[in-house]
Amino acid sequence: MKNIPDKNILLFKSCMVNVEYPGVESSTKYIFDKLGIEYAIDPKQSCCTGLGFYYDLFDQVSTSALAVRNIALARKSGHENIVTLCSTCYAILKKSINLLNSNEKARDEINGILERAGLSDMKYNEGDLSSENNVFHMVEILYSKVDEIAPLIKKDFSDIRIASHHACHYCKVYPDHAITGARNPMILDEMAKAFGGNVVDWYDFKKATCGAGFSQRFANRDLSVSATADKLLALEGEADMLLHMCPNCQMQLDRYQPVVEKEIGRKLNLVHLSVAQMAALGMGADPYKVLGIQTHSVPVEGLLKKIKDI
Amino acid sequence: MLKKGMDRRSQNMVEEIKSDYKASADLGLKRCMQCGLCTSNCPAAKHSNYDPREMVKMVLDDDQEIKENPDIWNCFYCYTCQSNCPVNNSACQVNQILRETILLEGGNNERIVEFLSYGYSYMDFGVGAIPSDFFDALVKDFGDHYIQLKINLEDIREELGLVDYNLKGESLDEIRNILIESGFKKRLETFQKQGES
Repeated sequence: MKNIPDKNILLFKSCMVNVEYPGVESSTKYIFDKLGIEYAIDPKQSCCTGLGFYYDLFDQVSTSALAVRNIALARKSGHENIVTLCSTCYAILKKSINLLNSNEKARDEINGILERAGLSDMKYNEGDLSSENNVFHMVEILYSKVDEIAPLIKKDFSDIRIASHHACHYCKVYPDHAITGARNPMILDEMAKAFGGNVVDWYDFKKATCGAGFSQRFANRDLSVSATADKLLALEGEADMLLHMCPNCQMQLDRYQPVVEKEIGRKLNLVHLSVAQMAALGMGADPYKVLGIQTHSVPVEGLLKKIKDI
Repeated sequence: MLKKGMDRRSQNMVEEIKSDYKASADLGLKRCMQCGLCTSNCPAAKHSNYDPREMVKMVLDDDQEIKENPDIWNCFYCYTCQSNCPVNNSACQVNQILRETILLEGGNNERIVEFLSYGYSYMDFGVGAIPSDFFDALVKDFGDHYIQLKINLEDIREELGLVDYNLKGESLDEIRNILIESGFKKRLETFQKQGES
């Protein structure tokens, strides 16, 4: 397995976590604090632009120029290992670093923007960061510490059937960087198993998109919900919980599940948690003050009642 | 004997796409062998008339009519095609570059104007936001609970021990200056003007 850091980490804020599932950030902080992982959250860090990029609104140069500023902040504070909470932040940052390292013309153009903006001290030099060795997803940090987390789990998940949704922008954009890539994504399953869950081996559409499709959720709502329904209907009766690693996917499947239920006229009985929320819950975190389940659309309380203390 | 019309075709679109910064340096566009793995696994192809294999073929034929095809706007940008491609092509990236090119040429402006508020939010706060034109549609789908979440968000975040995520002061000036110098602000204004005319 690749080398995964546990210090000098910039915990990279995500726009979707901020406003939809802030409990993913507080759960991650809770786990990092318990494990003694050294990290910083920087109030100066701007958002990755990923949603705007995939709305066809942001160009590559603007996205990468903003990435250069965030990278400069991370390096300046000695937190050059960027850990994202969202799969799109993860892939967008990798893409910018690859472009900056491999394309001199693009790098000069982007550095020129920084210079004209009065930020010459933030310019990017070839090799300042490596897309493979400096950009990680939160799930990878947890995975690398799974042997330390597992003994701290105080909840019995053995009666809960857990399926996983591996975010496309983690598995499919840079499959060679992923701990388990696009062909057989298993990282969430392996973690759920280590936490004592009853893991669902496979379901149809396991590898399929959540359906958000960036602009499709808004501009092409019915198309988007059709893809979401593929996934939810494949899980009907198969799982009690869907384990997530991306706030955009979590939003799509959690918030549109009641929409699909209304359309088909029956309940799907599937609860959505991020892997960080599950691990924090297992370690004893409060469902409202740490996991933030009050921001979910599908109520989590029924599932919590089924999970007993060990 | 060679037939007429078999002389070397123009490859403008292929070269433009391959040299676009949104394309991976090693994009295998020219290597496409039309196997169709992209289309067979594509969620948009399953639920609409979008056909990534056909899109790539038209690009390879330098057939500009692909830009008039409304179905290319259905791609989810999920990269499933890319992850299955045996020759390192990415219909997903090709699609992104085509759509951006069309928008910059003034096409399909009605689509992009609905997303401009994301860009303005970024300029105002250093963070993107759900495009405001669609907020009512989300509330209609998600119900009153969603409005309550938005109203109570700051209290919830405080209870979770999280700090404000909006940029302020010098940081905000820095990202605004970057976006002015990169041409992004002008791009937003151009899309807006096209939408008004």
